Amino acid sequence: MISRYLGLLAVRAMIRLLAKVIKVTTTVALIVAAAPVSLVAAYSVTLAWLLGWPPRQLYRAALYCGPMLAAWLAATAVATRSWTGVATAPQAAWLAMWHDGAAGRYALAAVTIAPAAVPLGLVAGAIAWQYRIYSMETGTGGLTPSAPAAFDLRQWRHQVRTARARISAPGSVPLTLPNETILAGAVIRAIHHPQVPLARIPYSRLRSHQVVIGTSGTGKTTLLLRLWAGFMAMGLQRHAAGAGPRPLLVVIDCKGGADSRRIAERTRRVLRGAGARTTAIWPDEASLSLWALPPDQLTTTLVDMIEHGTGGAAYYADVMEAIVSLAVAAPPGPPASAADFLARLDTGWLAMAYAAPEQADHAAVLRSAARHISDIALRFRTLFRRLGSGLDGPGTFADADVWYCILEGTSEITVAEAQARALVDLLASYAASGAGASAEILLAVDEFSAVSRRLPIWQLYERARSLGLAVQVSAQSWPGLAAQEDERSRVAATADGGIWLLRTPQPEPATALAGSRPAVDTTRRLLGAALFSAAQPSGSALPFGPARPFGSASWRREGSSRPRRTPVVDADLIRRLAVGQAAYIYRGGVTFVQVKRLVAGPAELPGPVRRDGPERPGPDGPGPDGPGPDGPGPEHGAAARRPGPPADAGSLLDEAFGPEAP
Amino acid sequence: MIPRRGAPAPPAAPGLSERDIAGLVFVGEMYGVQLDQLATLLGVPEQRAAGFALRWRRLHFAESARLGPGRPWIWLTRAGLGVCGLPYTATAPALSRLAHIRAVTAVRLALQSTASYAEAEAYWRGERRLRARAGGRVGLREHFPDGEIHWPDGANVAWAGECWAIEAELTRKTVARTAAIMTEILTRTGDYGAPAAEARVPGREPRHARVLYLCSPAARRTVARARDALGGNAARVEMRDLPPGAAT
Repeated sequence: MISRYLGLLAVRAMIRLLAKVIKVTTTVALIVAAAPVSLVAAYSVTLAWLLGWPPRQLYRAALYCGPMLAAWLAATAVATRSWTGVATAPQAAWLAMWHDGAAGRYALAAVTIAPAAVPLGLVAGAIAWQYRIYSMETGTGGLTPSAPAAFDLRQWRHQVRTARARISAPGSVPLTLPNETILAGAVIRAIHHPQVPLARIPYSRLRSHQVVIGTSGTGKTTLLLRLWAGFMAMGLQRHAAGAGPRPLLVVIDCKGGADSRRIAERTRRVLRGAGARTTAIWPDEASLSLWALPPDQLTTTLVDMIEHGTGGAAYYADVMEAIVSLAVAAPPGPPASAADFLARLDTGWLAMAYAAPEQADHAAVLRSAARHISDIALRFRTLFRRLGSGLDGPGTFADADVWYCILEGTSEITVAEAQARALVDLLASYAASGAGASAEILLAVDEFSAVSRRLPIWQLYERARSLGLAVQVSAQSWPGLAAQEDERSRVAATADGGIWLLRTPQPEPATALAGSRPAVDTTRRLLGAALFSAAQPSGSALPFGPARPFGSASWRREGSSRPRRTPVVDADLIRRLAVGQAAYIYRGGVTFVQVKRLVAGPAELPGPVRRDGPERPGPDGPGPDGPGPDGPGPEHGAAARRPGPPADAGSLLDEAFGPEAP
Repeated sequence: MIPRRGAPAPPAAPGLSERDIAGLVFVGEMYGVQLDQLATLLGVPEQRAAGFALRWRRLHFAESARLGPGRPWIWLTRAGLGVCGLPYTATAPALSRLAHIRAVTAVRLALQSTASYAEAEAYWRGERRLRARAGGRVGLREHFPDGEIHWPDGANVAWAGECWAIEAELTRKTVARTAAIMTEILTRTGDYGAPAAEARVPGREPRHARVLYLCSPAARRTVARARDALGGNAARVEMRDLPPGAAT
């Protein structure tokens, strides 16, 4: 009995072995028989693996072979003059290929079979590559349990390499496209966004609020410069075509110091290349006039620029507001300069201004607050001395295409806060009336939280929204976005134009805004190459877009599957991003981008960078053609001569030594 | 790694290749070079670089020894300096300066490895050459940069025609001293070795368009503070970390 049972087992094993041998032999025979198709498929899969392509790329390549196939079939139809000849053309080509190969005419054999083999091979390769990705996504592929993770990591490296290669070719990534689109760089991978070679940002998104977060040395300035240049170039194109008003870019850099000045100079050169005629660097080279504000707004702004206490000190704030209001709204008209305003903070001047009988109410206010006037004058005198001449005019935002405003938020916080308040009020006033009402304005603020004590950033946001301004808030980290957590959330959640994340240590709050997507963990085993079925996974753990293998019902029944939600944006991936890589989150999807650096034009010739006093140069400084028509100023010469900022050598230094340490 | 130059140098001695000549001149200009850096310069493995050094020793052009931690040092003898046409005093690198020499060499190698440097055919003028030009007229308080890079006019870079000063900072000085050195470099108008009256002439273009500081982690903060203290000239001070391998 036992020997019979053992015999049966042996027979069964033999049959199974025989079946396997037959299966392997058939497969090998099929691969050899279809050698050209097999070769193309193997080559295309290898290429897709090396370059990190999605299967869609291979399908597209197969589609591009359509004209060749059609031409070949048409030529066959003409030659044979029969439909049967066309129908049997692949078979005839296959036979001819083998005959030519046997006769040693390998080139002829390749040419004969290519029209049929290349598209078929590409399709076969795409299916095989899709199957590979799908099996990795579901955790059923690979030799070890950690294989899917290693596969993902490897594919990321391949995709990065491909993206870098794509942007390294000169002219491969233009700044704009004709359809009002700005190109930010090459796409590394995309989830829930179109998987296209280049990252396209519609101009309308730059006209909405955006948030940019990235620590120092991650390529944030490069990204911002590209976005600003894109905004300027596209805005000017639209303006030239009569499709929109003239663009205005206002950058408020709240860090200050030498770095900010270097970036300002680089911004000027890059934006000049994008079409901006003039870039004003405030307060170093250009000024604005605070006194151009409407009287009511001027009063509010002046009072808000002064530090007030709370509690009992509120009394003095009220007194100050009353006196400032009297000085600003005096019958001779609003003050024209800081000196004019300070001259009015005098009991005698105000008494004379409000001496008319119909001004009796104002005169009464003046009498009651008279003893505080000298103190108030002292405080404003101190404020204006610390502010410098940057807000004392002349100049308005209409004088330049780009305003780069540098606030010393690191070294002189109080002054920077006052300047920030004044600049925002000036811009709001400009946008609400005059030439600014018809301009497309992008306000970019960097590390605004450092100076936002008197103007919370969400207030800036809401104010900008009501005026039709687009605001782009950038920060080195999530906490740097705003002072309070609810403010940060509010700013990020209302970023209609998307969120840009570069490497940052705490990306979770921002990545959470991208939401989650369905995915499936399964212990079921995928058998064989699946073909032509509607079955597909509910999610994709690997970022090639939703994988759609043509899977047949070839899953084993054993095991189980568990649906789950997985974040669209992997926060750990954000922490690992290299220099120049960014994740663009928009409407529940993400595109990882290798940002293309804009090469700045040559530096300006050395010349006087600043002339103090009434002979303040125009917003763009001396310009590339040297001094203006007035010739060199009185200080142009010997001891006062100072060279302009040097050309940006960042690319060379980055290549030799890496980015500058924060 | 060896920068492309205009005309090839004439053979200095029978049997010396262009690589030998470039290597000998480099070693002579840098006081001395460690074996791994010589290998990087010549673009060969260390074992092969050792072969070059041995050949130079056999020709009495170079000496080598383990002067400190790490790889052996190679420096030129009087004969080696003479055959290279370098008018320097032949001596082994001073022990107190080994780390600094290594750091400066690493900086030079890193810069020479960039495409812009090679394409522009930029020229490195080392501290040894600057000191040699000054001869015996070196003032005690006069500061020499660790090197200069001269970017030829007409080169395809935005900074063509500029002269950069290079400073490798391994140790932390005081902020005031560092700022004073920066100011001295940035305000200098005359060449090293020129009459003292030409060192700083009001109204003339500064000699150095910028100064590039390569800092160790220990020195970075001091250099940054010194740069911030410069005011308007701060934009002409570039800062980067020393390249990997700059320390022994």
